[in-house]
Amino acid sequence: MNSPLSVSELSRDIKNTIERNFSYIYVKGEISNFKNHSSGHFYFSLKDSKSQISAVMWNSRVKDLIFTPEDGMNVLIKGRITLYETRGSYQIDVFEILPSGVGELQIAFEKLKNKLYEEGLFDDRYKKPLPLYPERIALITSETGAAFHDFIKVTENRYPLVKILLIPALMQGANSAVSICNAIIKANSSEYRSDIIVITRGGGAIEDLWTFNEEKVARAIFNSKIPVVSAIGHEVDFTISDFTADKRAPTPSAAAEMIFPDAYDLKLRLNVSENNLKRHIYYRINKLKNELNSIERNYYFKRPADLINEFRMNIDSIERDIKSVTERKIRNVKNNIDTSRKLLNSLNPENVLKRGFAIIKREDKIITQSRQLKTKDEIQIKFSDGQSDAIIK
Amino acid sequence: MSKKKVTEDTFGSSYKKLEVILAQLETEIEDHSLEEIIEKYQEAINLLKVCRKKLDEAELKIEKLSTEQEN
Repeated sequence: MNSPLSVSELSRDIKNTIERNFSYIYVKGEISNFKNHSSGHFYFSLKDSKSQISAVMWNSRVKDLIFTPEDGMNVLIKGRITLYETRGSYQIDVFEILPSGVGELQIAFEKLKNKLYEEGLFDDRYKKPLPLYPERIALITSETGAAFHDFIKVTENRYPLVKILLIPALMQGANSAVSICNAIIKANSSEYRSDIIVITRGGGAIEDLWTFNEEKVARAIFNSKIPVVSAIGHEVDFTISDFTADKRAPTPSAAAEMIFPDAYDLKLRLNVSENNLKRHIYYRINKLKNELNSIERNYYFKRPADLINEFRMNIDSIERDIKSVTERKIRNVKNNIDTSRKLLNSLNPENVLKRGFAIIKREDKIITQSRQLKTKDEIQIKFSDGQSDAIIK
Repeated sequence: MSKKKVTEDTFGSSYKKLEVILAQLETEIEDHSLEEIIEKYQEAINLLKVCRKKLDEAELKIEKLSTEQEN
Protein backbone atom coordinates (compact mmCIF):
# COMPACT_ATOMS: atom_id res chain seq x y z
CA MET A 1 0.00 0.00 0.00
CA ASN A 2 1.20 3.45 -0.89
CA SER A 3 1.96 5.94 1.78
CA PRO A 4 -1.14 7.99 2.78
CA LEU A 5 -2.01 11.27 1.08
CA SER A 6 -2.08 14.46 2.96
CA VAL A 7 -5.42 16.31 3.11
CA SER A 8 -4.03 18.93 0.79
CA GLU A 9 -2.90 16.30 -1.70
CA LEU A 10 -6.30 14.63 -1.64
CA SER A 11 -8.05 17.95 -2.00
CA ARG A 12 -5.83 18.82 -4.95
CA ASP A 13 -6.66 15.49 -6.63
CA ILE A 14 -10.40 15.98 -6.11
CA LYS A 15 -10.15 19.54 -7.30
CA ASN A 16 -8.38 18.48 -10.48
CA THR A 17 -10.83 15.67 -11.17
CA ILE A 18 -13.91 17.76 -10.56
CA GLU A 19 -12.75 20.89 -12.31
CA ARG A 20 -11.66 18.92 -15.38
CA ASN A 21 -15.02 17.16 -15.63
CA PHE A 22 -17.16 20.21 -14.86
CA SER A 23 -15.19 22.91 -16.65
CA TYR A 24 -18.31 24.04 -18.50
CA ILE A 25 -21.76 23.44 -17.10
CA TYR A 26 -25.20 24.63 -18.10
CA VAL A 27 -27.67 24.27 -15.28
CA LYS A 28 -31.17 25.47 -14.40
CA GLY A 29 -32.56 26.16 -10.97
CA GLU A 30 -34.04 28.69 -8.58
CA ILE A 31 -32.01 31.42 -6.92
CA SER A 32 -32.07 31.56 -3.12
CA ASN A 33 -30.10 33.33 -0.39
CA PHE A 34 -29.06 35.95 -2.90
CA LYS A 35 -26.44 38.42 -1.57
CA ASN A 36 -25.01 41.37 -3.45
CA HIS A 37 -21.74 41.83 -1.56
CA SER A 38 -20.22 45.30 -1.22
CA SER A 39 -17.26 44.06 -3.25
CA GLY A 40 -19.66 43.70 -6.19
CA HIS A 41 -19.56 39.89 -6.17
CA PHE A 42 -22.88 38.03 -6.10
CA TYR A 43 -23.27 35.09 -3.72
CA PHE A 44 -26.30 32.80 -3.82
CA SER A 45 -27.52 29.22 -3.92
CA LEU A 46 -29.02 27.50 -6.90
CA LYS A 47 -31.61 24.97 -5.88
CA ASP A 48 -34.38 22.71 -7.00
CA SER A 49 -36.81 20.68 -4.89
CA LYS A 50 -34.17 18.23 -3.69
CA SER A 51 -30.70 19.80 -3.80
CA GLN A 52 -28.76 23.01 -3.72
CA ILE A 53 -25.31 24.21 -4.78
CA SER A 54 -23.50 27.37 -3.73
CA ALA A 55 -22.72 29.83 -6.48
CA VAL A 56 -20.60 32.91 -6.88
CA MET A 57 -20.49 35.47 -9.65
CA TRP A 58 -17.43 37.72 -9.61
CA ASN A 59 -17.94 41.42 -10.10
CA SER A 60 -16.00 41.38 -13.39
CA ARG A 61 -18.84 39.33 -14.87
CA VAL A 62 -21.68 40.94 -12.94
CA LYS A 63 -21.50 44.00 -15.15
CA ASP A 64 -22.68 42.00 -18.16
CA LEU A 65 -25.85 40.85 -16.43
CA ILE A 66 -29.07 42.08 -17.97
CA PHE A 67 -30.93 42.15 -14.68
CA THR A 68 -30.41 41.96 -10.96
CA PRO A 69 -31.11 38.42 -9.77
CA GLU A 70 -33.61 37.96 -6.97
CA ASP A 71 -34.56 35.12 -4.69
CA GLY A 72 -37.15 32.86 -6.27
CA MET A 73 -36.12 33.61 -9.84
CA ASN A 74 -35.80 30.62 -12.14
CA VAL A 75 -32.63 30.98 -14.12
CA LEU A 76 -30.26 29.26 -16.49
CA ILE A 77 -26.64 29.43 -15.48
CA LYS A 78 -23.50 28.96 -17.49
CA GLY A 79 -20.37 28.39 -15.48
CA ARG A 80 -18.01 25.81 -14.07
CA ILE A 81 -17.48 23.97 -10.81
CA THR A 82 -14.58 25.06 -8.63
CA LEU A 83 -13.41 23.51 -5.39
CA TYR A 84 -12.44 25.71 -2.49
CA GLU A 85 -9.68 23.71 -0.89
CA THR A 86 -9.49 25.63 2.38
CA ARG A 87 -13.03 24.59 3.25
CA GLY A 88 -13.36 21.51 1.14
CA SER A 89 -16.46 22.90 -0.48
CA TYR A 90 -17.40 23.29 -4.11
CA GLN A 91 -19.39 25.92 -5.84
CA ILE A 92 -20.53 27.13 -9.23
CA ASP A 93 -18.31 29.84 -10.67
CA VAL A 94 -21.00 31.65 -12.67
CA PHE A 95 -20.15 33.09 -16.10
CA GLU A 96 -23.64 34.13 -17.06
CA ILE A 97 -27.16 34.16 -15.63
CA LEU A 98 -30.10 34.13 -18.00
CA PRO A 99 -33.75 34.19 -17.12
CA SER A 100 -34.99 30.67 -17.77
CA GLY A 101 -37.39 32.09 -20.33
CA VAL A 102 -39.06 35.29 -21.46
CA GLY A 103 -41.93 34.09 -19.30
CA GLU A 104 -39.76 34.57 -16.24
CA LEU A 105 -39.01 38.20 -17.12
CA GLN A 106 -42.64 38.79 -17.96
CA ILE A 107 -43.71 37.50 -14.54
CA ALA A 108 -41.15 39.72 -12.81
CA PHE A 109 -42.38 42.67 -14.91
CA GLU A 110 -46.04 42.11 -14.06
CA LYS A 111 -45.25 41.53 -10.40
CA LEU A 112 -43.35 44.79 -10.04
CA LYS A 113 -45.82 46.70 -12.15
CA ASN A 114 -48.74 45.60 -9.96
CA LYS A 115 -46.82 46.35 -6.80
CA LEU A 116 -45.89 49.89 -7.82
CA TYR A 117 -49.36 50.48 -9.24
CA GLU A 118 -50.88 49.48 -5.90
CA GLU A 119 -48.51 51.91 -4.17
CA GLY A 120 -49.75 54.67 -6.45
CA LEU A 121 -46.45 55.36 -8.15
CA PHE A 122 -48.15 55.64 -11.54
CA ASP A 123 -50.85 58.07 -10.35
CA ASP A 124 -51.44 61.12 -12.48
CA ARG A 125 -51.46 63.35 -9.43
CA TYR A 126 -47.72 62.76 -9.02
CA LYS A 127 -46.94 63.70 -12.62
CA LYS A 128 -45.03 66.96 -12.71
CA PRO A 129 -45.67 69.30 -15.63
CA LEU A 130 -42.77 70.11 -17.96
CA PRO A 131 -41.70 73.76 -18.19
CA LEU A 132 -42.64 75.37 -21.50
CA TYR A 133 -39.25 76.86 -22.24
CA PRO A 134 -36.61 74.73 -20.53
CA GLU A 135 -33.24 76.37 -20.12
CA ARG A 136 -31.21 73.43 -18.91
CA ILE A 137 -31.85 69.77 -19.17
CA ALA A 138 -29.94 66.84 -17.75
CA LEU A 139 -29.53 64.06 -20.29
CA ILE A 140 -28.89 60.62 -18.84
CA THR A 141 -27.74 58.25 -21.55
CA SER A 142 -24.76 56.49 -22.99
CA GLU A 143 -22.76 59.02 -24.94
CA THR A 144 -21.84 56.41 -27.51
CA GLY A 145 -25.42 55.37 -28.13
CA ALA A 146 -27.56 56.29 -31.12
CA ALA A 147 -30.16 57.69 -28.73
CA PHE A 148 -27.76 60.44 -27.64
CA HIS A 149 -27.08 61.50 -31.22
CA ASP A 150 -30.75 61.38 -32.23
CA PHE A 151 -31.75 63.46 -29.26
CA ILE A 152 -29.01 66.05 -29.82
CA LYS A 153 -29.78 66.32 -33.52
CA VAL A 154 -33.46 67.06 -33.00
CA THR A 155 -32.69 69.48 -30.15
CA GLU A 156 -30.19 71.37 -32.27
CA ASN A 157 -32.75 71.85 -35.04
CA ARG A 158 -35.63 72.57 -32.79
CA TYR A 159 -34.48 74.55 -29.79
CA PRO A 160 -30.76 75.31 -29.70
CA LEU A 161 -31.33 77.77 -26.82
CA VAL A 162 -31.17 74.98 -24.30
CA LYS A 163 -28.11 73.92 -22.38
CA ILE A 164 -27.63 70.18 -22.11
CA LEU A 165 -25.85 68.58 -19.23
CA LEU A 166 -24.84 65.10 -20.33
CA ILE A 167 -24.61 62.64 -17.47
CA PRO A 168 -23.14 59.47 -18.96
CA ALA A 169 -24.55 56.26 -17.52
CA LEU A 170 -24.58 52.58 -18.30
CA MET A 171 -27.82 51.82 -20.09
CA GLN A 172 -27.76 48.04 -19.84
CA GLY A 173 -26.24 45.30 -17.74
CA ALA A 174 -26.50 44.56 -14.04
CA ASN A 175 -24.57 47.68 -13.03
CA SER A 176 -26.73 49.97 -15.13
CA ALA A 177 -29.44 50.24 -12.47
CA VAL A 178 -27.03 51.75 -9.94
CA SER A 179 -25.42 53.89 -12.62
CA ILE A 180 -28.79 55.34 -13.69
CA CYS A 181 -29.92 55.89 -10.09
CA ASN A 182 -26.71 57.78 -9.33
CA ALA A 183 -27.13 59.88 -12.45
CA ILE A 184 -30.70 60.80 -11.42
CA ILE A 185 -29.46 61.88 -7.99
CA LYS A 186 -26.70 63.96 -9.62
CA ALA A 187 -29.12 65.58 -12.02
CA ASN A 188 -31.25 66.59 -9.04
CA SER A 189 -28.34 68.36 -7.38
CA SER A 190 -29.15 72.04 -7.05
CA GLU A 191 -25.87 73.21 -8.58
CA TYR A 192 -27.02 72.13 -12.07
CA ARG A 193 -30.47 73.75 -11.85
CA SER A 194 -31.85 71.34 -14.43
CA ASP A 195 -35.42 71.95 -15.57
CA ILE A 196 -36.01 68.46 -16.92
CA ILE A 197 -34.23 65.11 -16.75
CA VAL A 198 -34.28 63.00 -19.88
CA ILE A 199 -33.38 59.33 -19.65
CA THR A 200 -32.99 57.73 -23.02
CA ARG A 201 -31.58 54.76 -24.86
CA GLY A 202 -32.28 53.14 -28.18
CA GLY A 203 -34.17 49.97 -28.86
CA GLY A 204 -32.98 46.48 -28.07
CA ALA A 205 -34.05 43.07 -26.93
CA ILE A 206 -36.22 42.89 -23.82
CA GLU A 207 -33.12 41.84 -21.87
CA ASP A 208 -31.27 44.98 -23.00
CA LEU A 209 -34.03 47.21 -21.67
CA TRP A 210 -34.41 45.22 -18.50
CA THR A 211 -32.73 47.69 -16.20
CA PHE A 212 -35.72 50.03 -16.75
CA ASN A 213 -37.95 47.32 -15.32
CA GLU A 214 -35.99 47.26 -12.11
CA GLU A 215 -37.57 48.54 -8.97
CA LYS A 216 -34.74 50.84 -7.90
CA VAL A 217 -34.65 52.60 -11.26
CA ALA A 218 -38.42 53.01 -11.32
CA ARG A 219 -38.33 54.42 -7.78
CA ALA A 220 -35.38 56.73 -8.44
CA ILE A 221 -37.36 58.20 -11.34
CA PHE A 222 -40.46 58.54 -9.19
CA ASN A 223 -38.46 60.21 -6.40
CA SER A 224 -36.82 62.78 -8.66
CA LYS A 225 -37.81 66.34 -7.72
CA ILE A 226 -37.18 67.44 -11.29
CA PRO A 227 -39.63 66.14 -13.90
CA VAL A 228 -38.34 63.07 -15.71
CA VAL A 229 -39.01 62.17 -19.33
CA SER A 230 -38.23 58.58 -20.20
CA ALA A 231 -37.57 57.57 -23.79
CA ILE A 232 -36.57 53.95 -23.73
CA GLY A 233 -36.34 51.77 -26.79
CA HIS A 234 -38.89 51.93 -29.57
CA GLU A 235 -42.51 52.89 -29.67
CA VAL A 236 -43.68 49.40 -28.72
CA ASP A 237 -41.39 49.07 -25.72
CA PHE A 238 -43.03 49.94 -22.44
CA THR A 239 -40.96 49.70 -19.29
CA ILE A 240 -41.89 50.22 -15.66
CA SER A 241 -39.70 53.33 -15.66
CA ASP A 242 -42.00 54.74 -18.34
CA PHE A 243 -44.89 54.41 -15.92
CA THR A 244 -43.16 56.20 -13.04
CA ALA A 245 -41.68 58.93 -15.26
CA ASP A 246 -43.59 62.20 -15.53
CA LYS A 247 -43.77 61.79 -19.30
CA ARG A 248 -42.97 58.92 -21.64
CA ALA A 249 -41.68 59.53 -25.11
CA PRO A 250 -41.78 56.68 -27.64
CA THR A 251 -38.28 57.39 -28.99
CA PRO A 252 -35.29 59.65 -28.21
CA SER A 253 -36.20 61.98 -31.10
CA ALA A 254 -39.80 62.13 -29.95
CA ALA A 255 -38.55 63.10 -26.48
CA ALA A 256 -36.78 66.15 -27.91
CA GLU A 257 -39.91 67.06 -29.88
CA MET A 258 -42.05 66.69 -26.80
CA ILE A 259 -39.83 68.76 -24.52
CA PHE A 260 -38.81 71.67 -26.71
CA PRO A 261 -40.87 74.22 -28.57
CA ASP A 262 -39.92 74.62 -32.22
CA ALA A 263 -37.80 77.73 -32.77
CA TYR A 264 -39.37 78.14 -36.22
CA ASP A 265 -42.87 78.23 -34.71
CA LEU A 266 -41.64 80.62 -32.06
CA LYS A 267 -40.39 83.02 -34.73
CA LEU A 268 -43.78 82.92 -36.44
CA ARG A 269 -45.46 83.50 -33.10
CA LEU A 270 -43.20 86.49 -32.47
CA ASN A 271 -44.34 87.95 -35.81
CA VAL A 272 -47.96 87.46 -34.82
CA SER A 273 -47.23 89.05 -31.46
CA GLU A 274 -45.65 92.05 -33.13
CA ASN A 275 -48.66 92.49 -35.43
CA ASN A 276 -51.05 92.25 -32.51
CA LEU A 277 -48.97 94.68 -30.51
CA LYS A 278 -49.02 97.25 -33.32
CA ARG A 279 -52.70 96.70 -33.93
CA HIS A 280 -53.50 97.37 -30.25
CA ILE A 281 -51.42 100.48 -30.01
CA TYR A 282 -52.74 101.92 -33.30
CA TYR A 283 -56.26 101.16 -32.22
CA ARG A 284 -55.74 103.01 -28.98
CA ILE A 285 -54.03 105.98 -30.61
CA ASN A 286 -56.70 106.22 -33.30
CA LYS A 287 -59.37 106.11 -30.66
CA LEU A 288 -57.76 108.98 -28.79
CA LYS A 289 -57.40 110.93 -32.06
CA ASN A 290 -61.08 110.42 -32.78
CA GLU A 291 -61.96 111.67 -29.32
CA LEU A 292 -59.86 114.80 -29.89
CA ASN A 293 -61.51 115.34 -33.28
CA SER A 294 -64.97 115.05 -31.86
CA ILE A 295 -64.14 117.56 -29.14
CA GLU A 296 -62.76 119.89 -31.78
CA ARG A 297 -65.94 119.57 -33.83
CA ASN A 298 -68.01 120.50 -30.80
CA TYR A 299 -70.50 123.47 -31.25
CA TYR A 300 -68.77 125.72 -28.76
CA PHE A 301 -65.37 125.34 -30.33
CA LYS A 302 -66.90 126.63 -33.54
CA ARG A 303 -68.73 129.63 -31.91
CA PRO A 304 -66.85 130.69 -28.79
CA ALA A 305 -68.90 133.93 -28.59
CA ASP A 306 -72.03 131.92 -27.99
CA LEU A 307 -70.42 130.36 -25.04
CA ILE A 308 -69.54 133.76 -23.60
CA ASN A 309 -73.05 135.04 -24.21
CA GLU A 310 -74.48 132.12 -22.46
CA PHE A 311 -72.28 132.84 -19.47
CA ARG A 312 -73.34 136.47 -19.59
CA MET A 313 -77.01 135.54 -19.54
CA ASN A 314 -76.38 133.32 -16.61
CA ILE A 315 -74.72 136.14 -14.74
CA ASP A 316 -77.64 138.48 -15.53
CA SER A 317 -80.14 136.07 -14.21
CA ILE A 318 -78.14 135.62 -11.07
CA GLU A 319 -77.96 139.40 -10.66
CA ARG A 320 -81.73 139.64 -11.03
CA ASP A 321 -82.21 137.03 -8.41
CA ILE A 322 -79.95 138.84 -5.97
CA LYS A 323 -81.78 142.12 -6.58
CA SER A 324 -85.26 140.77 -5.99
CA VAL A 325 -84.24 139.00 -2.85
CA THR A 326 -82.65 142.15 -1.46
CA GLU A 327 -85.65 144.34 -2.30
CA ARG A 328 -88.02 142.00 -0.60
CA LYS A 329 -85.87 142.05 2.49
CA ILE A 330 -85.83 145.88 2.61
CA ARG A 331 -89.59 146.02 2.12
CA ASN A 332 -90.12 143.75 5.07
CA VAL A 333 -87.95 145.86 7.31
CA LYS A 334 -89.84 149.04 6.26
CA ASN A 335 -93.18 147.45 7.07
CA ASN A 336 -91.97 146.48 10.47
CA ILE A 337 -90.84 150.05 11.19
CA ASP A 338 -94.25 151.48 10.13
CA THR A 339 -96.13 149.15 12.42
CA SER A 340 -93.88 150.06 15.31
CA ARG A 341 -94.31 153.77 14.64
CA LYS A 342 -98.13 153.46 14.66
CA LEU A 343 -98.05 151.65 17.92
CA LEU A 344 -95.77 154.25 19.44
CA ASN A 345 -98.07 157.09 18.21
CA SER A 346 -101.11 155.54 19.79
CA LEU A 347 -99.29 155.43 23.07
CA ASN A 348 -98.01 159.07 22.90
CA PRO A 349 -99.49 161.15 25.82
CA GLU A 350 -99.53 164.31 23.62
CA ASN A 351 -102.44 162.78 21.73
CA VAL A 352 -104.35 162.42 24.96
CA LEU A 353 -103.77 166.13 25.65
CA LYS A 354 -105.17 166.97 22.21
CA ARG A 355 -108.40 165.31 23.21
CA GLY A 356 -108.80 167.87 26.09
CA PHE A 357 -106.85 166.37 28.90
CA ALA A 358 -104.06 168.23 30.67
CA ILE A 359 -101.08 167.26 32.76
CA ILE A 360 -100.53 169.01 36.06
CA LYS A 361 -97.00 169.22 37.34
CA ARG A 362 -95.54 170.80 40.49
CA GLU A 363 -91.86 171.44 40.40
CA ASP A 364 -91.68 169.12 37.31
CA LYS A 365 -93.42 166.27 39.15
CA ILE A 366 -96.71 164.99 37.73
CA ILE A 367 -99.64 165.30 40.08
CA THR A 368 -102.13 162.47 39.74
CA GLN A 369 -104.31 163.01 42.87
CA SER A 370 -105.98 166.17 44.33
CA ARG A 371 -104.79 165.53 47.86
CA GLN A 372 -101.24 165.97 46.70
CA LEU A 373 -102.01 169.72 46.32
CA LYS A 374 -102.27 172.39 49.01
CA THR A 375 -103.44 176.02 48.84
CA LYS A 376 -100.92 178.38 47.35
CA ASP A 377 -99.07 175.61 45.50
CA GLU A 378 -97.68 176.83 42.25
CA ILE A 379 -98.40 174.39 39.46
CA GLN A 380 -97.88 174.12 35.77
CA ILE A 381 -100.66 172.94 33.51
CA LYS A 382 -99.50 171.30 30.32
CA PHE A 383 -101.83 171.45 27.36
CA SER A 384 -101.31 170.07 23.90
CA ASP A 385 -100.28 173.46 22.57
CA GLY A 386 -98.34 174.80 25.54
CA GLN A 387 -98.11 175.37 29.25
CA SER A 388 -99.83 177.74 31.72
CA ASP A 389 -98.85 178.50 35.31
CA ALA A 390 -101.50 178.59 38.07
CA ILE A 391 -101.84 178.85 41.85
CA ILE A 392 -104.15 176.66 43.86
CA LYS A 393 -106.82 178.59 45.85
CA MET B 1 -37.27 99.13 -17.11
CA SER B 2 -33.79 99.40 -18.48
CA LYS B 3 -32.73 97.69 -21.69
CA LYS B 4 -29.89 95.96 -19.97
CA LYS B 5 -32.12 94.02 -17.63
CA VAL B 6 -34.23 92.70 -20.49
CA THR B 7 -31.24 91.30 -22.35
CA GLU B 8 -30.08 89.44 -19.26
CA ASP B 9 -33.30 87.45 -19.17
CA THR B 10 -33.78 84.08 -20.77
CA PHE B 11 -35.87 83.45 -23.84
CA GLY B 12 -38.60 81.84 -21.76
CA SER B 13 -38.92 84.68 -19.25
CA SER B 14 -38.78 87.35 -21.98
CA TYR B 15 -41.39 85.54 -24.04
CA LYS B 16 -43.68 85.16 -21.03
CA LYS B 17 -43.35 88.88 -20.23
CA LEU B 18 -44.21 89.68 -23.82
CA GLU B 19 -47.32 87.51 -23.62
CA VAL B 20 -48.37 89.27 -20.40
CA ILE B 21 -48.03 92.70 -21.98
CA LEU B 22 -49.97 91.61 -25.05
CA ALA B 23 -52.74 90.23 -22.88
CA GLN B 24 -52.84 93.51 -20.94
CA LEU B 25 -53.04 95.58 -24.10
CA GLU B 26 -55.79 93.33 -25.37
CA THR B 27 -58.01 93.35 -22.31
CA GLU B 28 -57.11 96.36 -20.18
CA ILE B 29 -56.20 98.90 -22.81
CA GLU B 30 -58.89 101.30 -21.58
CA ASP B 31 -57.51 101.19 -18.02
CA HIS B 32 -54.14 102.65 -18.86
CA SER B 33 -53.07 106.11 -19.79
CA LEU B 34 -51.52 106.73 -23.18
CA GLU B 35 -48.13 107.19 -21.51
CA GLU B 36 -48.41 103.81 -19.79
CA ILE B 37 -49.44 102.15 -23.02
CA ILE B 38 -46.56 103.65 -24.92
CA GLU B 39 -44.21 102.52 -22.18
CA LYS B 40 -45.62 99.00 -22.43
CA TYR B 41 -45.37 99.11 -26.19
CA GLN B 42 -41.71 100.05 -26.00
CA GLU B 43 -41.04 97.31 -23.49
CA ALA B 44 -42.79 94.80 -25.72
CA ILE B 45 -40.77 95.90 -28.74
CA ASN B 46 -37.60 95.45 -26.69
CA LEU B 47 -38.71 92.00 -25.59
CA LEU B 48 -39.47 91.04 -29.20
CA LYS B 49 -35.98 92.11 -30.12
CA VAL B 50 -34.47 90.07 -27.29
CA CYS B 51 -36.49 86.97 -28.17
CA ARG B 52 -35.58 87.16 -31.86
CA LYS B 53 -31.93 87.72 -31.03
CA LYS B 54 -31.89 84.72 -28.73
CA LEU B 55 -33.53 82.50 -31.33
CA ASP B 56 -31.22 83.68 -34.11
CA GLU B 57 -28.01 83.46 -32.14
CA ALA B 58 -28.69 80.31 -30.17
CA GLU B 59 -26.12 77.58 -30.32
CA LEU B 60 -26.66 74.29 -28.55
CA LYS B 61 -24.35 73.93 -25.57
CA ILE B 62 -23.49 70.48 -24.29
CA GLU B 63 -21.59 70.03 -21.10
CA LYS B 64 -20.49 66.60 -20.00
CA LEU B 65 -20.49 65.64 -16.37
CA SER B 66 -17.69 63.28 -15.55
CA THR B 67 -18.84 60.30 -13.53
CA GLU B 68 -17.10 57.43 -11.87
CA GLN B 69 -19.34 55.12 -13.90
CA GLU B 70 -17.35 55.71 -17.03
CA ASN B 71 -15.05 53.01 -18.20
